[in-house]
Amino acid sequence: MRTEWTNRLLFVIALVLAGIYLFPLYWMYVTSLKTQSSIFAVPPEFLPGVPQWRNYALIWDVANIPRYMWNSLVIATGVTAFTLFFGAGAAYVLARYRNYWIDIALFLVLMLQVLPPSLMVTPIFVGFASVGLLDYPRFGAILAISAKTMPFFIILCRAAFMTVPRELEEAALVDGNSRAGAFFMIVLPLARNGILVAALLIFMQGFGEYVYSASLIADNRLHPASIGMTNFLQPNVVNWNAIMAFAATYVTPIVAVFVLLQRQIVNGLTAGALK
Amino acid sequence: MSRVLRSLRDGIGFDTLLIIIALSYLFVFAGLPLIYNVIISFQQVDVFSLGTLWHPNVGFENYERVFSDPLARRVLINTLIFTVGSVALQFTLGFAAALFFHQRFPGATWFRGLFLAGWIMPGLVVGVLWNWLLSGDFGVINHMLKSMGLIDSGIFWRSDTAFSLYAVMMANVWYGMPFNMILLSVGLAAIPDDLYEAAELDGANAWQRFWTITLPMMRSTIGAVLALGVIFTLQQFDLFAAITQGGPAGSSTVAQYWSWELSFREFDFGRGAVISVTMIIVVLFVSLVYVRSTRAETRL
Repeated sequence: MRTEWTNRLLFVIALVLAGIYLFPLYWMYVTSLKTQSSIFAVPPEFLPGVPQWRNYALIWDVANIPRYMWNSLVIATGVTAFTLFFGAGAAYVLARYRNYWIDIALFLVLMLQVLPPSLMVTPIFVGFASVGLLDYPRFGAILAISAKTMPFFIILCRAAFMTVPRELEEAALVDGNSRAGAFFMIVLPLARNGILVAALLIFMQGFGEYVYSASLIADNRLHPASIGMTNFLQPNVVNWNAIMAFAATYVTPIVAVFVLLQRQIVNGLTAGALK
Repeated sequence: MSRVLRSLRDGIGFDTLLIIIALSYLFVFAGLPLIYNVIISFQQVDVFSLGTLWHPNVGFENYERVFSDPLARRVLINTLIFTVGSVALQFTLGFAAALFFHQRFPGATWFRGLFLAGWIMPGLVVGVLWNWLLSGDFGVINHMLKSMGLIDSGIFWRSDTAFSLYAVMMANVWYGMPFNMILLSVGLAAIPDDLYEAAELDGANAWQRFWTITLPMMRSTIGAVLALGVIFTLQQFDLFAAITQGGPAGSSTVAQYWSWELSFREFDFGRGAVISVTMIIVVLFVSLVYVRSTRAETRL
């Protein structure tokens, strides 16, 4: 019915649409490789000239990139660990039962998912200040961010647990496993892929987080790369090649992971997002 | 005691424990702040009284000061424009893209997935990217608009009070569109093909099929996506921080940014909490719509 030519036409349109959409990313990489004079060329140079790799080398130490990236990594790891540890079990229970109490718990989780961080940070900051948590700012930020990521994680993970057939768990129980044993030996390994994708999404959120870190962490030495970018932006506002090199260094790991795991991420997201 | 232990390992106690640890974490770090938020909105909280749990009570003074602030009207209008504009554009573009990729040509799913590369980026980086794209003198967007003959001289997107809010909105539409598209694609995929085949046999054209099959079948998905769009747009903060910082002269300040500014720039946490309390009520109301429409769809 549909001819070869319609398919080709649709393919070309898709290529153009993706090109337009991804242009900002392309522009980031191209700008990061330009000389100071060619970033201000009129008309703009759409193709890169001789790549200026030293832009990256120059900002590496000047902008404290290793320190900022390390802090982002610490925060993202902490957030992922906390979210996994506290959230995975709850997701399992919410997937396994259907009754009045589970409905209420699920409703609470969905409601907590929607609270805007920039609004929640005021009471959290005042509360943390009064109990002394601000003395451990990165830890405080991890605690606050995890409360934000956990509901989303529970929703995604719940979808993963729902794909595990109940019969397998029951068979394990008949074979003499305890509930805890069946959970750790049978259910968790079977839902592994969905959980890993969800954890990966949480890790990326933690890696790019801004509001809580910017408000709770005062010490510049503990700031993550998102704040590092704003710190770098203010005094260097004309050095767009340097700023874009910073941005590219920051997001390339994320983009790389996304390109490698695109299918799994999209599947995990679509499975959990609406159900 | 041993009975409790056995139940924890092998009975309903195991499930209860799992759900209790998650809910207590959320209670401590989301529930308590929610309550505390309401309390401090009636208190005077500044840098001097910060270290204590209890602060001087001021009654409704914070509320009066926020709502009589000359900026309040501007912020309310900005928040409305930003939210309605962003959600409408994200949804329309997302729906169009979802319909396009629903034509099952080779590579459609892969191309659709590519768009999520935008959604997965840190908000602050997206903001910085758009800051550069929208630059007044050397921005590539001004150049394209000029070469298409749409404008004569460059628009100063970030520093012109007439455009600053729309600069952030553009970035937000780019950022949020893929998520709309993916969710709507899921909804489209769930419509059985034979409905379309039957309609085609009855002589309905593509336009009629869209209005009589696609839209009605997608009703609950659309409700959920629109509600989620409003929720995510009201959460947007990073783009403001990276592009306009609410300026110039408050022309791009929205409620969630104003709340943060009062708390962390003016160190008046009481007034920050007032906006926070007000907006959280709005967000929770919208999310009731969202939860209701997801329930209608999957009967949780």
